Amino acid sequence: MLSFFFKKEHRVESLIFEYLETVERTQDNFLKAFGACIDNPMCENFEFFLERTHKFESKADDIREEIKALMYSKALIPDARGDIMGLLESVDAVPRLFERILYIILTQRLKIPDFLIPDIKTLVQLSLECCDLMQRQAYALFKKNESIRDLVHIIDTHESHCDRIERRIITKLFDSDVDPFLKLQLKELTVQIGEISDEADRVSKRINIINMKRRV
Amino acid sequence: MSVSLLGGLFLGWSLGANDAANAFGTAVSSRMIRFYTAAVLGAVFVVLGSLLEGRAGIETLTGLTAFSLKKAVISSVAAALTVTLMTALGLPISTSQGVVGAILGIGLVTHRLDASGLEKVVVCWLATPVGGALMAMFLYHLLGVLYNRMNLSLFQSDRLLKLSLIVSGAYGAYALGANNVANVSAVFVGAGSLTVFSATLLGGLSIALGILTFSRPVMETVGGRLVRVDPFSALIVVLAMGVTVHVFTWIGVPVSTSHATVGGVLGIGIVRGVQTVNRRMLANIVIGWGLTPVLACAFSILIYVASNLYYIPE
Repeated sequence: MLSFFFKKEHRVESLIFEYLETVERTQDNFLKAFGACIDNPMCENFEFFLERTHKFESKADDIREEIKALMYSKALIPDARGDIMGLLESVDAVPRLFERILYIILTQRLKIPDFLIPDIKTLVQLSLECCDLMQRQAYALFKKNESIRDLVHIIDTHESHCDRIERRIITKLFDSDVDPFLKLQLKELTVQIGEISDEADRVSKRINIINMKRRV
Repeated sequence: MSVSLLGGLFLGWSLGANDAANAFGTAVSSRMIRFYTAAVLGAVFVVLGSLLEGRAGIETLTGLTAFSLKKAVISSVAAALTVTLMTALGLPISTSQGVVGAILGIGLVTHRLDASGLEKVVVCWLATPVGGALMAMFLYHLLGVLYNRMNLSLFQSDRLLKLSLIVSGAYGAYALGANNVANVSAVFVGAGSLTVFSATLLGGLSIALGILTFSRPVMETVGGRLVRVDPFSALIVVLAMGVTVHVFTWIGVPVSTSHATVGGVLGIGIVRGVQTVNRRMLANIVIGWGLTPVLACAFSILIYVASNLYYIPE
């Protein structure tokens, strides 16, 4: 019976889940594109998955705009409106980073040197784990199916680990005899990959605050 | 007689336009509920409240002094003028204080004041903000524990708060009708021109008309200005106002919903250790509290004296 009174709220809720699923699909395609890049840079697979990453990132933007429009047409209480919009804005930084990283590789024709591949792979894997945990945390906020606070600590630990790997990669890179121009390009790529876990950590802390605000 | 009632109906209309914001102001100004939904709900519950529980307040005010129809009209007009002036000055209004002040003015000037019920009325005025604060503190703790235990998701919490604000707003409107209808029509019962039932019906309808026709600007501005707290605290403030005013309805004394609301906001501030009402607002409340009955009393004396002046040609 209550669904009738909360039609707009239900629509916002389902759009938020659709948005989170789209971010997940952007992440899947980013991982596939990155894997293809490491195996065989500039191959057809890389461009295919980059295209799909871009497509899902755009779709996520469209969904976010729809949520925004719906919420400002008086769905949800103002406090929740502000919190959700702020949260979606910060989550959106993550798929944007995926797209940016892939375009750096494509436009600068980057090839990751063999001695950096294991560390870069670990950095990407850990960063994407942070994103998975961030998604779980967002679902926990909207479904209350697990503890938000526990997830904050795990993401925080992962993020610190990512920072250490990032510094290690940059040190290795500048200790090597790679062309200085390429060094700068690879450093930029590493910093951008490191940003993924930083953004996930920011989102995670924001979710925690939103959750704490709701306690009396 | 119907023309004489216009003064009372005008007072009821202005009361509805002003005081409905205390019940639905937060929900409407924050766009949680549409104005028309709030206005219709408010109007229905005000009429229900006045019909079902408005009798006690009418009996108390009627007991203060027995009026002729002329005096009843003068006291209504004096109270309405005071309410209008205080609104223009931006001071928190208590229609109840205005009406009692006006009745006292007439009683004083005609030397027919029955002050036996006055003590109870003044004690209740003092007790209204205090009661609002205590009730808000109690409800905040009680409902806060329940709310935390429910461990709701963001959407569940949103729905619960929205529904609760609508229900507590309707309850606040019911309490407003039950308590404040006496301000509008008690003097006409005292003058013998209305029965208690017709007084509750006409009074309730005039307050409802005020809500339906002119409460929007007050709901959208005053409601937002008065309560700058989180949604849960806003719910507690409205609920505390409803319960406090309802308790005074059982005692039979018309009190101010604005004072109960300000008391509730202060109570929330005490519980949370934050400042919810600024010093300037507190000063305004104290000034308004003291000025309203005095001004209404002065207006009713002036109007009474003026209406009894006769031109004597030389």
